[in-house]
Amino acid sequence: MDDFTKQTGGGELPCENPWGMLDADSRDMEKLSGRNRSFFSDVWFRFRRKPTAVAGLVMILVLVLFALLGPFFTKYSYSDQNLDLVNIPPLLPVFEAEDGSCYFYITQSLKVVTVNRDGTLDRQLTRLREDDKQKMIYFDYNGEEIVIFYGMQPYVIANPETRMIMERAKVWNRSYILGTDTLGRDILTRLMYGTRVSMLVAFIAVLVNLVIGIIYGGISGYAGGTADNIMMRIVDIISTIPLTLYVILIMVLLGSGLHSIIIAIGTVYWVDMARVVRGQVLTLKQQEFVIASRTIGSSTKTILTQHLIPNAMGSILVTVTMLIPSAIFMEAFLGYLGIGLQPPLASLGTMCNDATENLKSCPHQLFIPALVICMIMFAFNFVGDGLRDALDPKLKK
Amino acid sequence: MVKYFAKRFLIMLAALFLIALITFVIMHAVPGSPFTGEKKISPEIQAALEAKYNLDDPLPVQFLDYIRGLLHGDFGPSYKYTGKTVNDFIYNGFPVSAKLGLITIVFVLLTAIPMGIVAAVKTGRWQDMTIMAIATIGVTIPSFVIASLLIYVFAYRLNWLPTFGLDSWKGYVLPVVALGGYSMSYLARLMRSSLLEVMGQDYIRTARAKGLSETKVILRHAMRNALIPIVTVLGPTVAGLLTGSFVIEKIFAIPGLGVHFVNSVSQRDYTTIMGVTIFYAAFLLAMVFLVDIFYCLIDPRIKFE
Repeated sequence: MDDFTKQTGGGELPCENPWGMLDADSRDMEKLSGRNRSFFSDVWFRFRRKPTAVAGLVMILVLVLFALLGPFFTKYSYSDQNLDLVNIPPLLPVFEAEDGSCYFYITQSLKVVTVNRDGTLDRQLTRLREDDKQKMIYFDYNGEEIVIFYGMQPYVIANPETRMIMERAKVWNRSYILGTDTLGRDILTRLMYGTRVSMLVAFIAVLVNLVIGIIYGGISGYAGGTADNIMMRIVDIISTIPLTLYVILIMVLLGSGLHSIIIAIGTVYWVDMARVVRGQVLTLKQQEFVIASRTIGSSTKTILTQHLIPNAMGSILVTVTMLIPSAIFMEAFLGYLGIGLQPPLASLGTMCNDATENLKSCPHQLFIPALVICMIMFAFNFVGDGLRDALDPKLKK
Repeated sequence: MVKYFAKRFLIMLAALFLIALITFVIMHAVPGSPFTGEKKISPEIQAALEAKYNLDDPLPVQFLDYIRGLLHGDFGPSYKYTGKTVNDFIYNGFPVSAKLGLITIVFVLLTAIPMGIVAAVKTGRWQDMTIMAIATIGVTIPSFVIASLLIYVFAYRLNWLPTFGLDSWKGYVLPVVALGGYSMSYLARLMRSSLLEVMGQDYIRTARAKGLSETKVILRHAMRNALIPIVTVLGPTVAGLLTGSFVIEKIFAIPGLGVHFVNSVSQRDYTTIMGVTIFYAAFLLAMVFLVDIFYCLIDPRIKFE
């Protein structure tokens, strides 16, 4: 008893009766030490121990910021065309002016553009005349004449008096950091809009799937019996249909455009989710806490929304993160086939499609959007894997 | 078991009917008639055309006619190419696609299974790491990106392989790798995990205790059970290859059915879209059904209700 009085910190007994109730603070003394971890902090704790998963999450955040905030920092719009500056690479092959003040860049249409020393494109030089025999085109540069000599490949810029080829150099393009496409549009800006489209498609598809999948699967699993049987046969039949074919058919019906892609993906991708939710609900509804809840008179709606769905959230989350890459892939696939977004709108798939024609001369036009698609896919797959491991109670240590 | 398959067969037929119904409804819900094009046609000609293709009948009658045609293997005429029927497209395009698909399946199985075995046997070693890295890349990168990358490297840079044409074996290399890349990676991962699981079982320890060589243990004992999950996913794999071929056929300019389908979608050739969709769906359902029967035959432990 002496020990006990010491523990409570006071000199007196908490009360006269040794068997009576203790004060609140003395009860706290018996609490086990250690912070109480909620379900989500527990998941987060295990999730962040996996480097690939964290890398994926960071990558997603960076891409979202890039897509959402990026367009505020660029001076171009996704549809701005500059037909004088088509197919410009990120790394410009240039010729250094003799006075060293700037560089010259030969465009695809055989015009000369001056490039400042910091790599920004400056102005187009005026064309004076063409000499067919000598294979030279004369341009005016601050009163002096310079020529493009097209008698050799690749074309070079020379001084017509000394007939010396100017010094070659490579500078990074600062005006169009990732270059321009076949219509002279800034690839970086289009990439931001393309990523935005991909993310938008993914998140709306997810939202629709969550709503339809959870409601459908929840009802089917909870109702059981004939209702479940009929609802699952419908799901069976739908899942035998190849989804790609159906998305394409719906695109035909609704016409090309962002809304059709979202509707098409939203209406066919919920089947997996419905199955997962139903499976979870089927096992969960047998458990004691559901029976207890029913005993105290909770309505079906309360049981579903307060008890069953929150407990199934783990599997739902994993299914969602696995669904996002396939939705993004589907959008890119449709875009690549040319039945997705219509120009001048940009999506990662349509950018890849536009770039296939001049893959040989300008591979960067295809590989840049392709790289972003791959990054998105990697990021979501890693996060999905990480979440699955973090939510798996068998792996809990 | 027979009862189970009879039930599966019925579901398959129901699915097929539903597919036909949905495609029919979707195609008739599209605004505008199939003959509205760049050229304006007079109402008389329009009426004559509609009468020719029985488009003036009520919709249910048209649907029944269409189903009757399907049962006789007749997919109807193409609206865009006069004188051509959808059957012509399927007849010309499908063998090309099927050949490519078959070669791809063989390629996938011949690469994925050994990759999975090596990765499982050398778990945690560099062989496993390399194979799993390749497999992870393969499942995340879309096929059209792989295809473009292959074309750029092997056709444009190295000049080893042609970018299109299927005249020689060389022409098949790039399309097959691009088309099969995803399935190969997926199956290799599956093979690895399923072999690892089987290797932990008691009968493998028994086989080792008998003094069998490791090769024999793996190939004769473990593989038999480890291959079962591979067989299960063969059906969906075929489906994936089939739809994946839309894009691969387009990139490599292969005159298969997939590219016909995509063209008919962009040209809004409704009967062709319908016919090819139903044909694809029927083919896929049949493949999945066959795989299920096969699955049941090779694993006597499976008892279907």
